Amino acid sequence: MNSFRKEFTTLSITLIAVGIALNLALGTVVLRLGLPLYLDSIGTVLVGALVGPWAGAATGFLSNLVWTLTGLYPQAFAWAGVAAIIGVLAGVFARSGWLNSIGKAALAGLITGVVSAVLSAPIATYVFGGVVGAGTDALVAAFRAAGLDALMSNVAQGTFSDPLDKLVSFVIVWSLLLALPAREKARFGNLPVASTARAPQGATRRPAGKAAKSAAKKTATKKAARRK
Amino acid sequence: MRGSTIYIEGSSGLHTLHPLTKLAFSGLCFACAAALPTLPWLLAMFGLVILPLAIWGRLTKAFLKACLLVVGPFLLSLSIIQGFFHGGETVLFALGRFSYTLEGLMAGLLFAARLLVALGGTLLLMQSTDQAHLMQALTERGFPTRIAYVVLTAIQIFPSFQDRAQVIIDAQQARGLELQTGALNRARLLLPMVGPLILGSVMNVSERAMALEARGFSSPAHKTSLRSLADTGAQRAVRWLLVAAAIALLLWRLWSALA
Repeated sequence: MNSFRKEFTTLSITLIAVGIALNLALGTVVLRLGLPLYLDSIGTVLVGALVGPWAGAATGFLSNLVWTLTGLYPQAFAWAGVAAIIGVLAGVFARSGWLNSIGKAALAGLITGVVSAVLSAPIATYVFGGVVGAGTDALVAAFRAAGLDALMSNVAQGTFSDPLDKLVSFVIVWSLLLALPAREKARFGNLPVASTARAPQGATRRPAGKAAKSAAKKTATKKAARRK
Repeated sequence: MRGSTIYIEGSSGLHTLHPLTKLAFSGLCFACAAALPTLPWLLAMFGLVILPLAIWGRLTKAFLKACLLVVGPFLLSLSIIQGFFHGGETVLFALGRFSYTLEGLMAGLLFAARLLVALGGTLLLMQSTDQAHLMQALTERGFPTRIAYVVLTAIQIFPSFQDRAQVIIDAQQARGLELQTGALNRARLLLPMVGPLILGSVMNVSERAMALEARGFSSPAHKTSLRSLADTGAQRAVRWLLVAAAIALLLWRLWSALA
């Protein structure tokens, strides 16, 4: 329970609120770009990575609650548990250093996407009759026509969109972690020490410019700086 | 409260009910959606209980519009997918080797009606209740204030995040980024768009946290509220009845499913 409490300080509570707002803002804006992505869990992945699995879970769960409360997407609450698990996975992957390289981050995203697809499918099948009321239902119909049963059609539909979406989300968070000043990352304390090692003086005060970016890269390669 | 919300201000009887009374009613609606066995029962619940309440709250138009926006697409998908793939005896028509059955159509309608009842209960609560009042009512009963803070803050700040994202998109377009081209070009916009937005907001977090601490956010002292929510003994009784009815419905359903 101690790690649970540690993840809910005033600072991380504030970050969770920002993470939820990011989920909602990006989710609605990306929709307008007309890409086959949702990107409505970048905030969840970011909070999970920076603060830890519990905080990530809270961000995901409450994001879906807020989708429902604002009336933007009232059915979202049915998937709140899945969103929480995405946050947990992001926290665990980041803690074990998977968000330090782009390849591992992409793989972590893929795994999270498959998990999320598999967990979402029963909800779509048994709560909503196998549909989500969106364009992707055409895929479900195609899989049913090809002979898959109700549950498997939804799993198949999910594995079409979720892994790509989570892969892009994780890679975006990976690149943000590079750009984020080491001081900000160390504040939350989930990431392994190598990537949050002290940046050279002067770089910390500056906003996320090139200086901070290169500083983060330099410190990441300094294996000697790794603290116990 | 500012921020994005579907709350519609008003002074009707529904608006002045205590938020928890309406929350208990939403709970009953969820129980009905899960437990009522047939289409007529569900439609009766919506038409004879939920809709009259919306009319009482003078929300009829907005309420029906919101219901249609959510249930409409579901109804479309459900009537196609369930109609063709649910199976059944009574074939209405056939497309190639796929036949559309009456049983499938009815199964689709049943799912849509369950959704409609659950959604109706939620919309009734959200359209007639300020989220800040709902959260206050919950925290007065021991709901964690930190969760209430997170939910309300997120609702308040995300429209400004949306605006900032739009400003960034506009700025990139002004510098020659083309949105009307292929998906790959638009995907390229993602990082320059989300980067500044997220980094800026994460770096503001510590200032926000300090401002909260300066106002005694984590102080264990009892906090009082400027606003007081009106509650009556009758409403308290009704709330218990609603909760009891919801539990009874679910238990009955469980029992009849096992029997």
